[in-house]
Order: sequence, then C-alpha cells, then structure tokens
Amino acid sequence: MDFRPGPAQQLLVATAREFLRKHADAAAPWRAMAELGWPGLLIPADLGGSDGSVLDVVLLVEELGRAGTPGPFVPSAVVATSMVLHGGTLDQRKRMLPAMAAGERIVTVGLLDSGSSFDPERISLTLDPPGRLTGRKLFVEAADVADAVLVVTRSADDLVVFLLPSDRAGVGRVALDTIGVEKSFTLTLDAVAVGGDDRLAGGRESVVAALAAGALARTAEMVGAAQRVLELAVEHAKTRVQGGRPIGGYQAIQHACADLVRDVDAARGLLYRAAWKLDAGAPATADVAMAKAYAGEACLAVARRGHQIFGAIGYCDEHPLHRLHKRILAASLDCGDAALHLETVARAIGLA
Amino acid sequence: MDFAFTDAEAVFAEEVRRFLAVNPVERFPLDGIDAGYGSGAHSRAFMRALADRGWISMCWPEPFGGQAKPMFFKLVLFEELALAGAPFGPLAGSWQTADAIIEYGTERLRREVLPAVARGAATFWQGYSEPDAGSDLLALKTEARRDGDHYVIRGHKIWSSHAGIATHGLVFCRTSREARRSQGFTMFVVPNGTPGMDIRPITSLTGDVYHYEVFLDDVRVPADLMLGPEGQGFQALLNGLDSDRFWGRFYKAPALERVLRRLVQYANTTRVDDTPLARDPVVRRRLAAMATEITALRVLFYRAACLLRDGAPITYETAVAKVYADELGQKLARLGMDILGPWAPLRAGSPEARLDGEISHAYLTSLGHTIAGGTAEVLRTTVAVRGLGLPAETKRA
Repeated sequence: MDFRPGPAQQLLVATAREFLRKHADAAAPWRAMAELGWPGLLIPADLGGSDGSVLDVVLLVEELGRAGTPGPFVPSAVVATSMVLHGGTLDQRKRMLPAMAAGERIVTVGLLDSGSSFDPERISLTLDPPGRLTGRKLFVEAADVADAVLVVTRSADDLVVFLLPSDRAGVGRVALDTIGVEKSFTLTLDAVAVGGDDRLAGGRESVVAALAAGALARTAEMVGAAQRVLELAVEHAKTRVQGGRPIGGYQAIQHACADLVRDVDAARGLLYRAAWKLDAGAPATADVAMAKAYAGEACLAVARRGHQIFGAIGYCDEHPLHRLHKRILAASLDCGDAALHLETVARAIGLA
Repeated sequence: MDFAFTDAEAVFAEEVRRFLAVNPVERFPLDGIDAGYGSGAHSRAFMRALADRGWISMCWPEPFGGQAKPMFFKLVLFEELALAGAPFGPLAGSWQTADAIIEYGTERLRREVLPAVARGAATFWQGYSEPDAGSDLLALKTEARRDGDHYVIRGHKIWSSHAGIATHGLVFCRTSREARRSQGFTMFVVPNGTPGMDIRPITSLTGDVYHYEVFLDDVRVPADLMLGPEGQGFQALLNGLDSDRFWGRFYKAPALERVLRRLVQYANTTRVDDTPLARDPVVRRRLAAMATEITALRVLFYRAACLLRDGAPITYETAVAKVYADELGQKLARLGMDILGPWAPLRAGSPEARLDGEISHAYLTSLGHTIAGGTAEVLRTTVAVRGLGLPAETKRA
C-alpha cells in the first residue's frame, strides 16, 4: 500500500500547478493545455495521446479544480474521450481521437433527457422516425465551443450513441442562465439526419465507462476546489484579526477548519482509491459511486463552512470563494448526484 | 499509488481467517466487557490463543523473541479480528507497551515483562487521568519520590480501563518540579497487587464495569520498573501519541463495517407492511451513506498507517482519523437505533432483543469514545494548530 503519487504523477501535478498559477486570469488557455498534452492524457500513444491512466487524469483535474480553471476539459477530454475510446470503431477512433488529443477538436456529450437522470436506464430519446433524431438533451456543457456532440439515445434494449457535428442541420442550442461558472445549454435536435457512420459501435457499456470516468473527474474537480477553499480559509483565519487576535486563534474557527481537513482528506482518499481500482481493471462501480457521493456532500459542506469562516467578504463577487463553491455545486450534479450514486452503493452492500 | 495489500499480507489475512474459522470467537470466555471501540471484550483466553500463534510478538525484532514481521501484519490482524468481532480488547495496549519496552525499557522489563506480553499473560492499564487532570494531563498530582533503589508513588488515578483485570499499570507520575510545566514526568510499570495499590471499579452508564479508579498510597516500585527516560515522560508520551492514537482506533473502521453488515442483513429480513425494511428509501439511503463513510474512514486510517510505516512526519492525520472514527461510530449507533425502532433500547439477553442487544450497547459506549484518548475538542484543536498552523490559545486562567 502506498499513497504517494509516482514520479511522473508528481511531475504532472507540479507542472499543472505552475502552469495554472501563471494562467490564473486567462479565460481559456485550451491551446496551451493542448501543447502540454493534457487533452490526450487518456488517449493511447498510437492515437496521438500520452497513454495516461484515470488516476493521472484525476490528479490533473484536481489541479484544474483547485485553480478554478474554466473550459471543456471534463466533457471533452474525459467523458467524450472515454466514450469514443470504449465505443468507437477503429475508424471512428482514428478519425476523432488524434484531433481530440491535439486539442483541435472539442467534443461534448448530450445525455440527459427530460427525466434528467444520469442513470443510463432512464435515457429515453429514440430515433423517430428511423434515421431522424428529434428532441432535446439537457444541461450540455461546452456546446458553444464543441465541434461535435455525442448524443446518447435508446434503441430496443441497448443504448445507441451518435457522434454529430455541431453544424449538422437541425442541431441547435439554447443557452441557460445558471448560477454556475460553466455555461450550460439545452441541445435541440430538430429532425436531424443520422446515418450508420454517425453511430458508435459500443452501446451501454461505453456510456457506463464514460460516466464512471466522468464521475471521478468531477469528484477530482470538487476535491481540488474544496482543497483551495481550505487553503484560503486557513490563510484568512491566520491573517484576519478580530478582538485583538487572528480569528484562527479562536477554537470555534479552529474546529471548523479541522472539519474542512477531514472532509477534503476523506473525499480525496476515496477518489484516489476508486481511480486506482478502475485503472487496475478491478470491479470499481461501488468505489466510484462512493467517491462521487461522498465528495458531493463533503465538498459542498466545505464550501458552505468556508463562507461562514470568511464572513462578509466571502459574499462579494470579487472574492474567489463563491466561484469555487459554484464549481463544486455543478460538479456534484454532473455524472450522477449523491442520491443516484448512493443507490449504486445500496445495491453493492447487498440491500434487497 | 497502490491501495492493495501485498501478497504476503493477503496470505496472512487468509491465515487469520482460517484461525477464526477453526476457533469461533464465541467460544472464548470473557473476563471484561466490550467497550465498543472495535477491539471487542477482554479475554485472556483469546490473548493466549493469539500468543500460541506467535501473533502478539510477530513484529518485534528477533533478539526480543519476535519474527520481525512488517508493521502492516498488525494492521491485517486487527482488521480480520475486528471484522469477526473477536475479543482482543487488550491487544493494542500490549503492543504499545511492548514497543516502548523494546525501545527504551530496562533490562528487567525486557526480561520479566516482555515475555509475559508475548505469552498473552501480561496486559496493561493506563494510569494517566486523575480527578483534576483530564484533557489537561499536565495538571496531574500523582508523585513518585526516589527512596534508595525504589520510587514511592502517591496519588489517585481514574478512568483506567480494565485496571482490575489487567496485570500491570502504566502509572504516569511527577518525579520533579521543573521550570517548564511539561518537564519532570516519569512512567512506571507497576504490577497489580503491589502493596498500597487499591483498585476500585466504577460502574458505567451501561451498568457494566469498564473503568476503575486506582488509589496509590505509598506504593513502592523498584527503580528498574521505570519505563523511559526519567523526567522526560511527557515528551515520550507525545512522541508515541500518534502511534497510540492510530493503534487505539484503527480497528474501529472494520468493526463499524461488521455492525453495518448486520444492519443490512436486518433490513433485508425485516418486513414492515410486507415490504423489506431495505426498501424504505430513507433506510436505504442512510445505510448506503454510512457504508460510504466507513470506507472513507478506512482509507484515512490506511493513509496514516503508510505514514507511520514510512516514518513520515505526522501532524494531524491520526487526530483526524480518531475524531472521525468516534463520531462515525456514534452516527452508526444512532442509525441502528432508528432501524430497530421500539426494539432499540433492549439489552443483550432481554426477551425480544434484536441483533443481540448489540446496538443499544454500542449507542451507550460510543458516547465515551469522543472523550477517551483525547476529546474531540482537544483533537480538533490539534488538527488546527499542529496540522494547519493556526495560532494556539496560550492564555491560562
């Protein structure tokens, strides 16, 4: 047993932290990230990627979450990439993945129907009439920058994924007004013509695999953001003086900070263990569910407690706290909320 | 990163499971109650059985009669015993005392006490707290005065677990008055039955005796039963604190998992209006969340274990794990009480008792866990000050 990241992982984290510190104010250093090879982290070397593991991705996304870096990394480089990797034909993989690895193509995923559940069994959109796709996919991130979208639909007894270019006739988007920091869209599909070439070979399994990778990436994002809240809160507690001493000298604040440490550490532990299991090819469904469910609760608790520690200044738009909080909030919902994942856990522990 | 046990550790776990299959834990007579920490009841017979396998001394260096097994073997043994609900109550204390004796014990302690620990014959009570020295241990008043080749101890210790059924006390005394409040403390290993020692049981809120108070009325102790450097006892105590905290709580996570499995089984087999309780969405959600938290706790302990094994610096990691373990134990007991409903308060042995009355016992005993071995408040302060570098509250009344 060893909790330390390997040398290559330490380098990845150090590089990421330095890069993200330099680009703290940049809107979207996607190109620069691509030059570092990040979008291709999950992609095999022979397809232009760098053959990384899920754990590598988790470590990187944790840094993105910590820095509050916006962008399409999780939907494109994790969820869509995993779906193509697991479900694409050789031709589709060759066509898509090298461009995605290079950051030249951004792909997002349209999954949620009006039932708005990440449970794959509740996806309801079907081809109707045959060869035509009409309906909506809800809460699609990065739809404004994506070159293509993977639309998950249902056939008789399996899921069917279509890879549609964003400029295909009938594909539209409606921007939503959210409290979150990432833009979110409703993807509209109006009699969009889909053909056999658009269809990924893999069905349910590739969707499930992509959702597992996405759940861990979102967990990493939450853990990174919560880690940043902890760091900011501790710094504030050391420097904010009231009643003649730093507020961190009062046990009420000390104990609150101690709870933040527990929440962040425990969430991170479950995260790394689940990612490691997934990489090892061991059954990891319950571990992924535990990691996502735990972080969803714990990291949100960190954000809320952080607001209490900061007092009034944390209520201001210019303060970073609320953006970290909103990021955690959005990440807690994407790829399955705590309720969905706890149901997976309930089955795994043998509840009838 | 690697979260797996090594092959050797997995083989040992299997060996422990085989031992437990051949020797069901229910067969061992008990001498003292289970205080709910996860290490089960006090059973000399079980300690002897562990000793017969060589497991008590397995991690000691070979010159001390051990087999120099890696630390993680202890982890594996604890985990398997706790999952089985085995009565290994005194084991952590025996291990910690033995480690201290191996590190800085006198020849006499090494010759007389260490082999008795290995045989499962010697177990220890901690004489730390006093009526006016709880969280503020340094306020203790018990004194040991040098008299020739002996020390004479006078004082009053309290909250000493299993003191009446253990063989030796670890009695923490003041041996001199120093300028610094933390200097001048010394630990002694005092055999039970030494003249002047009066051990009296304290009946706890469960109705059982777990704690004792010990009156020491000019108890004469040979100087070579001193454990550790004279006058530096508090520093030694602090140095061993992370290790003590870890080994005193590590088994809690697997023990909570054992209780959770029982509750899952209960929810599956108990029907309310013809529907299994397991189908109640609230019960289902709370049990799943509890399983998740127990796993999170386990991972926190594994991380602390790796730090201890590697000799890496520890500032807050064991403190965080201990507080979480104890508060999670209380939460699980509360959940169990909710699930059992009107049956929840029934004691073991009562007509109609469910799950052997284990939940009501756990509910009561868990109240003490956030107090014993460092209160949750003291430990949160430790996390904040030692772990996060927040300023200590230094003012004294």
